Amino acid sequence: MNAFLLQYLPIVIFFAIATVLGLGFMIAAAVMAPSAPDAEKNSAYECGFNAFDDARMKFDVRFYLVSILFIIFDLEVAFLFPWAVSLFGMPHDKMVYAFVSMMVFLGVLTVGFIYEWKKGALEWE
Amino acid sequence: MTIGLAHYLAVAAILFTIGVFGIFVNRKNVIVILMSIEMILLSVNINFVAFSAYLHNIQGQIIALFVLTVAAAEAAVGLAILVTFFRNRGDIAVDDASMMKG
Amino acid sequence: MMTDLSSALMICLPELILAVGAMLVLMLGAFGGERSTGAATMFSGAALIAGAFAAALGPHGTLFAGAFHMDQLAAYSKVAIYVASAFAVVMGYGWMNRSNERKFEYPVLILLATLGMSMMVSAGDLISLYISIELQSLALYILAAFQRDDARASEAGLKYFVLGALSSGILLYGISLVYGFAGSMGFTQIAHAIAAGGANHGVVFGLVFLICGVAFKASAAPFHMWTPDVYEGAPTPVVAFVAAAPKLAAMVLFVRTLSMGFFGAHEQWAQVLLVIAVISFVVGAFGGLMQRDVKRLLAYSSIANIGYALLGIAAGTQLGVQAMLVFMVLYMIDVTGFFACLLALARNGRPITQISDLSGLKGSKPGIALAITALSLSVLGMPPFSGFWAKFYVFKSAFDAGLWQIAIAGLVASVVAAFYYLRMIKIMWFDASPAPVDGSPSEARWIAFACALFSFPVVLIALHFLDQSAGLAAASLGLH
Repeated sequence: MNAFLLQYLPIVIFFAIATVLGLGFMIAAAVMAPSAPDAEKNSAYECGFNAFDDARMKFDVRFYLVSILFIIFDLEVAFLFPWAVSLFGMPHDKMVYAFVSMMVFLGVLTVGFIYEWKKGALEWE
Repeated sequence: MTIGLAHYLAVAAILFTIGVFGIFVNRKNVIVILMSIEMILLSVNINFVAFSAYLHNIQGQIIALFVLTVAAAEAAVGLAILVTFFRNRGDIAVDDASMMKG
Repeated sequence: MMTDLSSALMICLPELILAVGAMLVLMLGAFGGERSTGAATMFSGAALIAGAFAAALGPHGTLFAGAFHMDQLAAYSKVAIYVASAFAVVMGYGWMNRSNERKFEYPVLILLATLGMSMMVSAGDLISLYISIELQSLALYILAAFQRDDARASEAGLKYFVLGALSSGILLYGISLVYGFAGSMGFTQIAHAIAAGGANHGVVFGLVFLICGVAFKASAAPFHMWTPDVYEGAPTPVVAFVAAAPKLAAMVLFVRTLSMGFFGAHEQWAQVLLVIAVISFVVGAFGGLMQRDVKRLLAYSSIANIGYALLGIAAGTQLGVQAMLVFMVLYMIDVTGFFACLLALARNGRPITQISDLSGLKGSKPGIALAITALSLSVLGMPPFSGFWAKFYVFKSAFDAGLWQIAIAGLVASVVAAFYYLRMIKIMWFDASPAPVDGSPSEARWIAFACALFSFPVVLIALHFLDQSAGLAAASLGLH
């Protein structure tokens, strides 16, 4: 039983270090950091939110829209990595095939992008 | 202790169950449902990758990539529908989605 | 290599036509704006018809390492699906014109959903199965919530999305287990694995999850929760689409997966399918009794009909599959006609949705009343309408396979379900009309009449041809 529990020792150590480090930084920040707020520092940054405010508030739906549009193209890129790594290891005829396939895929993505652009989804106003 | 296939499957099964429960138990917010759906799909990805490594078969990793992208598309469609729902109702509580019953 | 590629592209020509067509229509709409909706509709319809010809006449074969099968079964279902989608495009255009909301995205989404369905009926491994189901579902979720300023439509879309995504997750979990315990994604390799080692618990467990996921997409009970809400809330042309083509696609997907990949586990999955079938026709028959909304009623009717179609698959014989294929196509025609009738009816500019609103229809719209009557009699299975022949084939194949208890339960359920169709007919012909009905749009009226005429008497001529091509389609699976 003891030997079994001992297997989990690394996790306990990991938790302990994480806790100590986390608390340490928070306390250090509270104790040591200089605090000289002025109106400019506390004003809203580019996103338009107040710097010190409840994080669980309603915000503009356009943020959602931008993130939706972003995530699609972001994840399609995931297909490019394995393709790029393995493309030049292939025999020649298959390489042409793989290259053309990916170009078709990117073409489909571009069609979606043109649609998005023309619909004005990328405009903020 | 070596971590074998069974461990990965157990983790995936636990995450899958939490995700399914998240959909049924949650009564407050539809966004939480979207997160649960994401969790279900990613738990299945653990299964795929674990099996792929265990079987020395690449297909599991290929479908894992597809699942990732489909999950993103699904989240996008879900959020878009949610936004139209919010515009019509002004709220996204789960109990609100009850105009039609029977 | 080049000749290889071009012959491969010929085999998947229907899909290419749809995919390229969808992108061209999207670009047309993006540059032309709302004015181009008419052109987009015409182009999409043309792409669907061209796809149907390509599917009917094109070469057959297996592509992409077994991931894509183009055979007689796929050709049969593709033609039926494309034609049903073309009807949905036409009905949707008329509807958008009347509600003054011309969106070129509608035909694009129909094309993409059809592309997904067309790949569903061709899917030869678990990856293409999953991707095609998702392509179809994602397009359908958006279509259900298409009327953005309508609270019911967005609620329908939300429910459809949440439950649909859950079912995709369940399906995917099943796929992962099957993959892990059978060792491969391809149906033929899975079949070999099952033949070599028998169906182990992992495979059967995964298969049950997989069946649940697909049953959800086909709206079989007990996975039918979304159906009544989506039918009631979504715009009528969208429902006409959702109610017809995706059901056939899901059924063919069932048949191909179960008989190509899992025939070695027939005993196990036949049990599951029979349970689902019985629950479906019982829920469909009794759930419909209390409904006041015509579209909700049709939702329960579709649940019941999916139950009957599942009987054909559960029989696990070539005749059963053939019966299911005939049944689904005849049902698709009936249901398209039904929704076309609903589209053709409005009172003071508001569409008729309640059953009680149909009262006295014989006076104001005798043609539509006659069409609804014929279609109702057909769906409830009255000879000599098409629905009778559909049910006759399915029940006969179930009897032949020794499932006579289940078949008798199905007969009882269809007698119960007959009650609500007969009540609707009675309201139309014998009750007094509260107020005059608006003039009906021509395209919906013509589709309604065409479908009603098909259910009787055209079916008597067409049935032989339909039966023959369904027989060829079923034979391509290599069952007995």
